[in-house]
Amino acid sequence: MTAALRAEVLKIVTVRGQVIGAALATLALPLVSLLVATTGGVGSGDTVTSGAATGAIAGLLAFGVWAATLAAGEYAQQTIVVSLTAVPRRSVFYGAKVAAISGVAAVGAVISAMAAWLMVWAVLPAGAHDLGDPAALIGVVAAVAAVTVIGVAVGLMTRSPAASASILVAAVLFPNASGGLLGGLERWVVGASPGTVITQVVGGAQLADNRMFPGGAGAALLTMLMVATAVALAGAVTFFRRDG
Amino acid sequence: MGEARADSRTAAAIVVEEATKVIDGVTVLDRVSFTAHPGRVTAFMGPNGAGKTTTLRVILGIDHLTSGRATIGGRPFSEHPRPMEIAGALLTPDAAHPRRTARGHLRVLAASNGLPGASVDDALDLAGIAGIADLPVGQMSLGMRQRLGLATALIGDPAVLILDEPHNGLDAGAIRWLRVILRTLADGGRTVLLSSHLMAEIEQFCDDVVVIDEGRVRMAGPLGHFVGGPSRSLEQRYFDMVEGP
Repeated sequence: MTAALRAEVLKIVTVRGQVIGAALATLALPLVSLLVATTGGVGSGDTVTSGAATGAIAGLLAFGVWAATLAAGEYAQQTIVVSLTAVPRRSVFYGAKVAAISGVAAVGAVISAMAAWLMVWAVLPAGAHDLGDPAALIGVVAAVAAVTVIGVAVGLMTRSPAASASILVAAVLFPNASGGLLGGLERWVVGASPGTVITQVVGGAQLADNRMFPGGAGAALLTMLMVATAVALAGAVTFFRRDG
Repeated sequence: MGEARADSRTAAAIVVEEATKVIDGVTVLDRVSFTAHPGRVTAFMGPNGAGKTTTLRVILGIDHLTSGRATIGGRPFSEHPRPMEIAGALLTPDAAHPRRTARGHLRVLAASNGLPGASVDDALDLAGIAGIADLPVGQMSLGMRQRLGLATALIGDPAVLILDEPHNGLDAGAIRWLRVILRTLADGGRTVLLSSHLMAEIEQFCDDVVVIDEGRVRMAGPLGHFVGGPSRSLEQRYFDMVEGP
C-alpha cells in the first residue's frame, strides 16, 4: 500500500498542470476571504477566524474539481491500463488514489486556512473583531478532505472529467441553493453540507438557525465525514464491479 | 541500445484454460486454451477482432472471464505481490499521460512496485530512449511511445512479457532491435507472448504460434509444426486457417 501511495503522489507531482491546479486550489480560499474582508463583507459578529473561512466554498469547489478531474483523468488519458497492470489489486489502487489525492488536498487546505487567517487578520481593522479560535479552521481541512474523497470516488465512477467535475460542483452548491425545497430536511441536509459545516465549526455569524445541523457543529462534521465515507464506498463498489 | 538484462527471474508460464468471455450476449472468447512456456517466444495471431487483445487483458486481470482461468506462474496476475517483477506488459503505446515525461512515467511505475530508482534509467537505456527521457510523452512520435511502452514492460525485469502489437510504429532498425532483445530474454528463461500481424517477423524469431479467430483457438503449437516445405509458409497456413483453403 505504501508503494502504491507513493506512486499516486508521484502521479500528481510529475504533471505540471496538476501541481498548478493544486496550487490554485490552495489560493482560492485565502484570496476569496481576503476579497470579502477588504470589501466589508465580514460582519460585526464575525471573528477573524470565521472571516478567514468566508471563501471556503471557493476552496471546496477548487479542490473538489481538481480531485475529480485527476481521478477521472486515469480513464480520459487512458493511463488506467498501465496503472492497473502496475497495481492490479483494485482495493490497493483505489485506497492509494483516495489517500494520495485527499492527503495532498488536506495539506493544501492547511496552508490555505493558515494563509487566509493571516491575510484576514492583517486587513481587518485592529481590535474590531475577536480573533476567534484559529484551531477551528481544522473544519476547513476536514471539509476539503471530505470533498476531495467524494471527488475521487465520483471521478472513478463516471470516468469523465467533465461529468465528475459537474457532479462535484452540484454536490457542493446544491444543498445551499435548494435549502428551501427540502422542508424539514433542510437542517439535516444543508447543515451537513461541507460549506455549512465549516461555517458552524468556525462559529460564523451569518448562518440562519434553520441551517444549523441538529446536535451542533461536531455532529455536522461527523455526518459530513460519514457521507464522504459512504460515497467513497459506493465508488469502490462501482470500481470493483466494473474494473475488478 | 541496451542489452537484455542478466537472467535472474524464476520461470513462469502463462496458462489460459477454457477461457470464455461473454459481453452483452456476444461470446468474444470461447473456451480459449493455450500455454506460453518459459524460454520461448509465443506469437499470438489472428485477424482484427479475433480476441487477441481481450485474451491479453484477461491474462493481466484487466478484463475478467465469464468462465475459465488465466494464470501466470500458477496464479492469477493480481495475486502476485510485486506484479511488475512477474509480468511486464505493453498493451497500447498511448498508456502514458501526455504531459508527463518518459522519466516521470517510469518513476511512477517504479514507485508503485517498490523498484529501485536505477531501474528507471536501466529501462530508458534498454529501450533506447534515454536521450528523450525528459520530453513530455505527448510530444513523442508513435515509435518513441512504443519504445516507452517497452520500457514500461521491462522496468521490473519481469519473468513474463506480454506485448500487444509491439511492432506498431517501429522503424526497421527498431524492429530488429526488438527481435534481438525478445529473443535474448526468452533464451534467458523469460516467457514472451506477443501478438503481431507481421508474419515474416514472427517466422524469424518465434518458437510457438497460437492462432485465434472469432474467439476460438484454431491452432496452438511449435512454429515448426505449423510451417514446413516450400509451399507451407506461415502466411499461407495462417490464411488457410482463418479464411479456408
